[in-house]
Order: sequence, then structure tokens, then C-alpha cells
Amino acid sequence: MLTSLFEFLFKYRPVVFQEGDFSLGVAGAVATGAVVASLVAVLALLTYLGVRGKTRPLDRLVLGGLRFAGLAVLVFCLLRPALVVSTVVPQQNFVGVLLDDSRSMEIQDYDDRSRGAFLQETFGTPDSPVLSALSDRFAVRYFRFSSRTERIEDFSEMSFMGSRTRLGPALERARSELASVPLSGLVLVTDGADNSGEELTEALMPLQAQGIPVYTVGVGEENFQRDIQVSRADPPRTVLAGSSLVVDVVVTHTGYEGETVSLFVEDEGQIVSTEEVELPDDGQPVTVPVRFTASTPGARAYTFRVPVAVDEQVTQNNSQTALVSVEDRSEKILYFEGEPRYEVGFLGRAVADDDNLQLVVLQRTAENKFLRLNVDDGEELQGGFPDTRAELYAYRSLVLGTVEASFFTGDQLQMIADFVDKRGGSLLALGGRNSFARGGYAGTPVADVLPVVFSDADARPDGYFARIRVEPTQAGLGVPALQLAGTEEESGARWSELPLLLTYNPLHRVKPGATTLLQGIAEDLPEEHVALAFQRYGAGKSLSLAVQDTWIWQMQLPLEDDTHETFWRQMLRWLVDGVPDQVTAQVPRDRAEPGESVVLTATVNDSSYLGMSNSVVEATVTTPLGEEVELGMDWAVDSNAGEYETDFTPSEEGLHTLTVRAYAGDDLIGVDEAYFQVAPQRSEYFDAGARTPLLERIADETGGISYTPETVGALPEDIRVTGAGVTLVEEMDLWDMPILLLLLLVLILGEWGYRRLRGLV
Amino acid sequence: MVTRWWGGTAAAGGAVAVCVFAAMGLGAPGSTATRAAAAPAQEGNIPYDGRFTFVRIRTDVSGGLGSSIDFSGRGRRGRGQPPWAHDYPRAERNFAKILTATTLVNTYEGGSNILTFDDPELHNYPLAYVSEPGFWWMDEAEEEGLRSYLLKGGFVIFDDFGGMRDWSNFEAQMLRVLPEGIFYDLSDLNPLPSVFDSFFEISEPEALAPPYRGGWPQYLGIFEDNDPAKRLMLIANYNNDLGDYWEFSDAGWLPIDLTNEAYKFGVNYVIYAMTH
Repeated sequence: MLTSLFEFLFKYRPVVFQEGDFSLGVAGAVATGAVVASLVAVLALLTYLGVRGKTRPLDRLVLGGLRFAGLAVLVFCLLRPALVVSTVVPQQNFVGVLLDDSRSMEIQDYDDRSRGAFLQETFGTPDSPVLSALSDRFAVRYFRFSSRTERIEDFSEMSFMGSRTRLGPALERARSELASVPLSGLVLVTDGADNSGEELTEALMPLQAQGIPVYTVGVGEENFQRDIQVSRADPPRTVLAGSSLVVDVVVTHTGYEGETVSLFVEDEGQIVSTEEVELPDDGQPVTVPVRFTASTPGARAYTFRVPVAVDEQVTQNNSQTALVSVEDRSEKILYFEGEPRYEVGFLGRAVADDDNLQLVVLQRTAENKFLRLNVDDGEELQGGFPDTRAELYAYRSLVLGTVEASFFTGDQLQMIADFVDKRGGSLLALGGRNSFARGGYAGTPVADVLPVVFSDADARPDGYFARIRVEPTQAGLGVPALQLAGTEEESGARWSELPLLLTYNPLHRVKPGATTLLQGIAEDLPEEHVALAFQRYGAGKSLSLAVQDTWIWQMQLPLEDDTHETFWRQMLRWLVDGVPDQVTAQVPRDRAEPGESVVLTATVNDSSYLGMSNSVVEATVTTPLGEEVELGMDWAVDSNAGEYETDFTPSEEGLHTLTVRAYAGDDLIGVDEAYFQVAPQRSEYFDAGARTPLLERIADETGGISYTPETVGALPEDIRVTGAGVTLVEEMDLWDMPILLLLLLVLILGEWGYRRLRGLV
Repeated sequence: MVTRWWGGTAAAGGAVAVCVFAAMGLGAPGSTATRAAAAPAQEGNIPYDGRFTFVRIRTDVSGGLGSSIDFSGRGRRGRGQPPWAHDYPRAERNFAKILTATTLVNTYEGGSNILTFDDPELHNYPLAYVSEPGFWWMDEAEEEGLRSYLLKGGFVIFDDFGGMRDWSNFEAQMLRVLPEGIFYDLSDLNPLPSVFDSFFEISEPEALAPPYRGGWPQYLGIFEDNDPAKRLMLIANYNNDLGDYWEFSDAGWLPIDLTNEAYKFGVNYVIYAMTH
């Protein structure tokens, strides 16, 4: 509106004034102007000095000023003012028009039509004013872009089926393709909803360096009027069969404030969990923890879905699908207990029926006397606690019971720390009379790994013990291992009803970065105990469970209660979750479209979990139709030791299996599998609101201009004035600007009106 | 699979027991201690503090076989004590000292507990000892309490009984608790159940003769789900009396070798209960 008014009054758009240099068309214009102005001023002054009668000095001053201003306007016009502008030479320059071909252009938020309809009528119709004007002035080259960028001859090649929007590569491709011709600028027509995750700066730098402006045309609403979106659902990539999962699902919306919707979790179409979600204020995300059990082994596609609501503008963003590898294998955990106590028997019994957990127990019963349970053969742990890394690293997790630090050699203590730090294993330290400070662990490498803070001063040789009520903290409520029931409320209620436990370890602080998951409250003690704490450490994780007797839950609760079993099964499954094998296959981005390259990686370690860069790594991709594609994997020189990579371009839709085999010479080190799904992607429909600020940034940084569908009509003329390429200098007259005529009229009418007002006519 | 590794110096468990036995000064021959002199003036129970505390079960003798017998006299079954209290408290005191000396079990040595099967406090102590179950009788609350205790993970030692009459009563009571239960003669199982080598290796359990009575000792038990591969829930020292050995280990009346063997059984039972 303001721009149009400006253009009406000043004849040209503001951009012409920004780009142009002011000049006067008369030779020696400045001097002549000054002389003429002086003469006019003198004449005006003489005229008014000669006036007598009723006039006051003020009247003469006002009337003289108005007359002088009117004459000055006339003189200004006679001096032939003009703007000297560098404009592009018609038909000697090129303009690249980049059209967004992604799926989000099908969203119906452009006057109740799709965004693509705007592209069609503005850039796809020959008689479109914009297209006509552009074609008159420039040689226009068209590109369509989404995940790829391609030259197109005409609009009929647009499909609006692209799976992603990648603005940076699109600009780079157009720039490089038009590098050999005089390029006035690039026109980027898009909603700006870039979902590539790529940095734009690198693509803009060469455009800035070459002075190529980018004119952006944004289409679509920034915020939808009515939409519900399942923004995020990230379950673990790998879990043991039968594991309980709590997945935080983020739901956002506009237009449904206060309404309650259902959130379903589906496993291959079968509903496995449902949560009711009350939607908060518009635009506010709500995080919903959903609980379900991964029971069926294999690669499972879990879908988190909110049914389409009434009048939703975008229906394709109501669900997210995630691939989870549900593994049915037995994970070995070493439980070393330094003194005979009931915790050993009850813990073993709690997980005895879990085929996915093998709890190997090394029980010290007397000095230098050990009992071994659940070992694979007579040689396992024959020498007591492992004294080599290869032996210890064969386990995925270590449960350390109550055993004094002095039992271990210095190397064994360091080995336990490395087990977490380097091998990526998990450590769970249990409470007891020889645990933590009481066990002399302060200052040892193991203390560095543990999530709790203690010192020798906490050893308390007075036989400290307290009976505590153990209950989850806010952080603990969201941890799957601590879920004792189907919902958070039911789980919290069960925790509050559990019998008291004993602790011999007064732990009250956790390390920075560690999290208290269970707190212990003693009725007669003011300070809360840290009952369960967790932290990530190096490649692994460590936990401390500073209680003596969780078996009390089993013995004190009713016979049919399974709290103790549930707690330990989930705790041990959490321990082994994510602990790497020697050979690990990974697909960093496990969803792709047919024809889209998929990066496949593998990590290969020796038995001490040092990366092996000299192994032979074979990858096999099994397609949905059963075809096996053999691929070699190379160690990338710029990556870490033991990391291998290759890529694969699928052509079939469906589940693909990656199998990695690694060899040291002729010896097989290990085999691992990972999965990826090939299917049309819906990422275009998520966070699909137009990104006007991003488009304005692109225009600003390259010297272009940002437009909307309402203002795009000025685009051709603006490029003519501001574009790069082959240009000529053009003088654009200003004397006939409507504003000057209006100003003259106002001055003359003002003088006449003043005279009437003062009775001087 | 269960295997055991026997450490160097402590491998000779029996020797350890003898050493400690001597060190305790318990075995002085000629001691004048008698059972009557150690009549069960019950001491107060110990509040649960996380340590292993010996628990003796007080049983009812007012019903079943015990109802027709006067336990107040000094006859075979009397001696001034109710059957459940035989050997109390010296048996458990001596056993606690041996347990501390031979193992790393955090043991309460200064006392022990006497509880009933229907006492909720019993569930703080997953190992319990019953003396003279030949006269044992339960009401419904005790029956339910014992069933719950066993199925949750408790382990019960039945000791000091023999003869068909005692057995019949004991079996009848146990079948009230576990109607589906099957008694296994543990010595007949091959390999021997791990309760016989959880700490000491007892290769011939039946070799330990009873201290006073005749008969051939047998060790019978009921496994979880009647599966010998699973947890042993109870053990019955039929035709034997470990408690007597323990009680009189400081009196010199019984051979040291046999006393040591009796302690081995007890230590194994505790370690087994704690680890299975």
C-alpha cells in the first residue's frame, strides 16, 4: 500500500531512488539555479515590500514565503532533475527462476488454493503479467527444486512431489549452471520451508561475491489457522524384545486450544498404546510420554498418530513413523557381589525368566572364595573378577555389589572405569556396607565414573543406616526403567506404596551432568538421599543404586505383586540398552525415498574396543524382494579409527536390511544388522508454514528483494533496475513527478487561502 | 549351568571351621552345660537392620500330633521346653559365630529372633529354622503365611525330627501349605543340588550321623514348580538334628568332626538361600 502510494507520488518505486544517483539536466545547473533563485527571491521581496495597507509584517512574511516556495518548485522543475540509474539491457541478460517442487506446495493455504496454484498462475501461464514482463526483458531459465534441482523447459514438468526442500543446493545449482551467461538475478519461488538441515551461508557466499541478487517470492501462511502436528517421536533405534518403552511424543497445534485428542501408537497397524492429550495454548508444544512394550522381534515400524481433527488444513503431519529394531538375543551382565546377601538371589530370580538377559553372578563368599552362577562354561570367571579388558569387555554391563575398593588392583579399578568410558558398557553400583565412600572408593577411577559425589569424610564408620522411602523424582518419572504401571499416575501411586528400604550410604549430591532418578526420604532425617542416580560417561553410562535390600519389595508386598521383578527386569534392560558390540552396523538416516542415496556405516573394534582401521568389512543390503547387494566398506581417512562407510541407492520401496561382517585376516570379528525403510517421505508436511524471515534474509544478504504474492507484480521492473549482468546508464526524469505538481498546487492554494482568511483579497 | 571355583587358602572349609571352633573356646571337654540349664528364656527380637539374623519359628503344638503330648516334663519330647525351642538359644548363637568366622555374611551375632509363620516381620528374614516339625501344627493364618513366604522367595530349614510318626505329621502340614508340592530325596538327585556345594562341598550328605537318634538321615526338599532345576524352597533334615550339633559344639559331648560337618550344612543352607 505504502509502496503503491510512493510510486504514485514519486513516479518510480523506492528501489529506483535507492539505486539511482540524483542529477540536474541543465549545464552549470547549480550556478544558474542559484542566480535564478536569488532573482526570484529579490522580486518577491520587492513585490511584498511595496505592498501597503492592512498587511502586517507577519502576513508579508507568510505570503512571501509561500510565493518563494512556489517559485522554487518551478525552478526545480526547470532544472530538469533526474535519477541516473544503471539498468539491465533488455534481452541481453538472463534470469533464473527457481520453482519449489516439493510436496508442501500442495498445502491449501493460498486463498483456499494450493501454494502450487500460485506458482502455476504466476510463473506457469504465458499471459501472466509477471511472466510476460520478465520474458520481455530477460531470457528466463526455469529450475525446479526439492531434494534435487533440475532445469525444466516449462511448467508442465512440475509435479509437487519432492520429498524435501533444499534451498541451498538449489541456489548453488542455478548459479553454477548460469555461470557462463550474464545473470541479472535468481528468482526463488517457494514457501521457504527448508527441511534439509543444511547451512545456507555456504550457498549464499558465492552469490554475494559475484553480486548476483536473489529475489524471493514467498507463498503460504506462516502459521496455519487450524492444524495438529505430531512433531517428534524418537524411540530408541534398538531394544530388547519385551522391553517397556516410554517415548516422548511432541504434539503442537494451532486452533484447537483446550480440546482433548487421542494419541495412538501402532505397531504395523495394531494399536499398542493410547494416551489422551489436552492441547495447550496455540503454538505451545506438549510432550506426551507414551508407554508400550516392544514385544515382537524384528524391525518394527511404530506409528505415533493423532486422528485428523475437524477443519485441519494439513492432514499429512498428524503422524510420525519410527523404525525400531526389536532384538531377541541374550545380553550378558556380570554381577559381582562382595558379600553374600539376599539381593543376589532375589535379583537373579527376578530376571531368571527373561530370555534376553543372562545375569552371570560372581559371588565372593569368603576371602578368596567365589561362587559362580549362570556362567557359560567352567572357564568363565575361573580366576575370579576379570583381570584383562578382553575378559571384562565380553559383558555389556557390570553390576558392582558391595565390595571394598581394596579388593581390586589399581589396574582393575581403571579397567572398570574404562569399561564405561571406552568400551561403552554400563555400570550399576549397588549400595551396601562396602560401597561408595564406605568401601574406600573415594579418589579411585571408579569414583570418577559414578554419578554421585562422595569423599572419605562420608565413610561414616559409625555403622550409619537409614530406612528410606524411595520415590521417583520428576526426571525419574519419565524413565522407562522406573515405570511400574501403565500410566505415569498409576506408576507414581505404586512407588508411593512400596515398603521402606535400608541404606548404608548417605549420598546426597550428584555430579554436574548427572540426574537423580530416585530419591530416598527418611522420616527422621532432614536431607534427602540420592537413591538412584544416572549419568552418561564417555561412551557408556553409569548408575548408582544406593540401597541395601530391594528384595524387601518382593518379600513384603503381596505374593501376586510383581514390582520387584518389573523393576529389575527393566533396570537391567536399560543397562544393556545401547551398549555396542565389537561390530556395529548403522544407518544414520533410516528413512529414504527410492532413488535417494542412503549412507551406511559400521564401527569395528578389537576385543579391547580400540577402533580397527585395517579390517575387511563387507556390507550386504537385502532388498524387500530378497535380492542381496554386496558392498565393500572403506575406512574413511578423515573419520575416527574403526569407522567405515559406504552408500547405497535403493530402487524398491520397503524394508531393507543391512548386514555387516568384519574380518581380521580370515577371522570373523563380528556380524551386525541394521534396517532402513524406503518409502515416500512426508517430512514436507511438518513445520510447513511459510518461512518469510528466512526468505527476507536470503534477499537482504544478496542484494535482492523479498516479495509476497501481492507484491510480486513489481518483480520484473525491480530486476531491471537492481539486477546484475549487462547494464546501461539511464536517466529517469523527475520533473514530472506528481508530487511536484501537487506541491505547487498546495502552495498556490495556500497563498490564496491565506489572503482570503486575512481579508487581503 | 552352575559351577564353583574354590579359592586357595580357604578351600579347606572344614579346617576353617575347626580353627574357628577352637578359637572360640567352645569345645572344652568336660563342660557342665546341659540342655535344662539352657532353658529358653526368650530374649527380645532384633529389629531388622540389614544383617543376617537367625530366625527360629515358634510353632503351635496344640493341634495334630502334639496335642496328645505333655511337653512340660523331661521325657524324650519334653525336657521342659516346647519342641520348637529345642537347642535355643545356644544353637543359633554358636552358628552365628561360625557363619561370621567362615564367610563374609554380615551376621548379627548378639541375638536372634523368634517369630511365627503368620508374623509379617518374618518377611524381613528370608531364611527361617523350624525345630521338631514332628509336632508342628498350624492354623490357617500360619498356613497362608508360610505358603506366601516360600513362594515369594523364603527358604525354611526343618530340623530335629525322625521316624514315620514325625514324618507323617510334617508331610501332612506341608501338604496343607503346598498341596501340589513333591518331596525330593536330595541325595538321590544327580548331580547333587547346589545347596550341598554352595560353600562347602558336601558330597555325601547322608554320611553325617544324627547325634542321638537312630535312623538313616535323609535330606528332603520341595523345589519351585517341583522342578529340581529351580530354587529349593525348603529342606527337611529328616532323621537328623543339626541344631543339637550346633548347641553342644561348645560342650565337647559330640565329636568335633561331626560337629564341623553339621556346621557345613548350616553354612551351605545360608549361602544357598542368599544366592538362589
